[in-house]
Amino acid sequence: MTDAGARSTARSTARSTARGLAPILWSAALAVLLLGGALGPGYVLTYDMVWVPDLAVTPDVWGVGTALPRAVPSDAVVALLDSVVPGMLLQKLVLLALLVGAGAGASALVGGRSLGVRVFASTLMVWNPFVVERLVIGHWPVLVGYAVLPWLLLVCRRWEAGSRVPAAVPVLLVLGSLSASTGVATAVALLAGGWRRGARRRAAGLVSMAVVANLPWLVAGLLHSADATSAGSGARVFAASSEGPLPGPLAALSLGGIWNAEVVPTTRLGFLSVVWLVVVGALAILGWLAQRRTAVQGWSALVVCWTVGVGLAMLSWAAPGAVGALASHIPGGGLLRDGSRLLALAAPLTVVVAARGVESLLGWTPDRATRVLVAGLLAVVPVALLPDAALGASGRLDAVDYPAAFSDARAAVQAAPDGDVVLLPFTSYRAPDWNDGRKVLDPLPRFLGRPAVVNDELYVDGRPIPGEDPRAREVGEALRLATPADRATALADIGVSVVVSEQIAGQDAPEVAGETTYAGDGLTVTEVAGDVSVRDAPVPWVVAMVVAWLAWAALLVGGAVVAARNRFRTRQ
Amino acid sequence: MNAGLIGPIVSLVAGGLLASVSVFGLISSQTAAPSKSPANAEAPAFDYGTTTE
Repeated sequence: MTDAGARSTARSTARSTARGLAPILWSAALAVLLLGGALGPGYVLTYDMVWVPDLAVTPDVWGVGTALPRAVPSDAVVALLDSVVPGMLLQKLVLLALLVGAGAGASALVGGRSLGVRVFASTLMVWNPFVVERLVIGHWPVLVGYAVLPWLLLVCRRWEAGSRVPAAVPVLLVLGSLSASTGVATAVALLAGGWRRGARRRAAGLVSMAVVANLPWLVAGLLHSADATSAGSGARVFAASSEGPLPGPLAALSLGGIWNAEVVPTTRLGFLSVVWLVVVGALAILGWLAQRRTAVQGWSALVVCWTVGVGLAMLSWAAPGAVGALASHIPGGGLLRDGSRLLALAAPLTVVVAARGVESLLGWTPDRATRVLVAGLLAVVPVALLPDAALGASGRLDAVDYPAAFSDARAAVQAAPDGDVVLLPFTSYRAPDWNDGRKVLDPLPRFLGRPAVVNDELYVDGRPIPGEDPRAREVGEALRLATPADRATALADIGVSVVVSEQIAGQDAPEVAGETTYAGDGLTVTEVAGDVSVRDAPVPWVVAMVVAWLAWAALLVGGAVVAARNRFRTRQ
Repeated sequence: MNAGLIGPIVSLVAGGLLASVSVFGLISSQTAAPSKSPANAEAPAFDYGTTTE
């Protein structure tokens, strides 16, 4: 090859690499802008998102506690990883990685289109109401699953009939199944993307892999089946909801409509939500028309995912009574009560079809300069239409430090006799001053590093939604007894050895008899007086969960080993 | 008018419009009074959330 030829090849390779990296770098820039203060020193503590310096491996983490396994397997994964990477750093890496992964995945799913189209796809996937609302409410495992979806659909699209299972599939499945609802979404995407007409063995393989990837929470849920039905009233409360001027169905179409009005960005309550729907809707219609001329690869899988995601959201909005009946009579039916959680499934089609619309628009531009200008403009449209998502949802995701008293209380609790911890006031949520008054699931149960009995009763609009944990009910009854000595005896009988009381204005913490081993900065640690009847998990439960975890780990490790081996062979 | 100028001008106008809309939306969102108090001091516990209904 001549020098000129070599230079031309090198330039072409560099250009191709830059084009491949651009959506990733763009997604990273968007992720940094979106997370803002979340990336500063400290922990992001918002609603259900609770990260601590070192999450202990307790029975609840493995799914053999008495509470419903809502954080299985995500807590187990965090508990194992944060023994290698500090919890603070791990949280930031996870939040960054899921956003970059989602943006890069959308770009890859759109395929070999122009750079402007792929960058737009990244923006829309990273910067939309679903991502912002789920970030603020703290559903990070849902967002990990959301980031997995485009990659899973892409791998399934390339998975030819008759060939072996791509090594990435089991890894993506496990990553995308860190909680029950996101596991369901990932399974739907796998079946929609991987199913081929007439291929029965392949279909059986898909179902088997989806089951194994979800086995930890499935088995834990079955073990708790006696308590695994949720209050039907929750379905009405958690149904997909209107957002500002958009009624529920239109909010769902624009990837919003979360039940909790407190986590909705303020601009979604005004005219910008309508502009968002009109602009993205117009691009989607353009893209759909273009798709009819030249089919998008994997179109049917995208449509199936979208239909399931939007369909369930609309069902919860239109018929919350039916969803409530499902939740209150069928164990696990409560998975569907948060109607808009599975809207993650609608994002891949929305992004692909809107990106196709952008491609059509760019095709009408008269010259390259105009094309670049229009592409640049469109790439920032999703940001401009949801501007208060920037800088950690306008500061709502700012990281904070735990008070020093938490570490002192942890040391006192660790030194207490065997048994469980109870946190007082016996309520599930806090809004501490040191978290800028922002609500968060009480972080102490995770921070203290001991099994804890937590009140799983929730209050929404000031009205209670009953919990499911029978042990929490027992603790509640013990705390209602007349004297501190009676409370201590009753708590000891049900296996509680230590009580941590927090001073919260307006909320009472009943006194419990015992020895105070720590008191400071609003926290009191009391070792309960009396003989504690420590309760171990039933042996059959432990055996069942060990089998489930081993199968889950085998799927993950097997996939990772095959992927590494394939990569090694390719490089050779 | 030169056809080559139309695209940039349209882009600039559209970009300016978009920027104005987002700045207006952002300012109105930041200056609006909250529709509901984030916490109810009378309640026995902190609300997990508030619905729009």
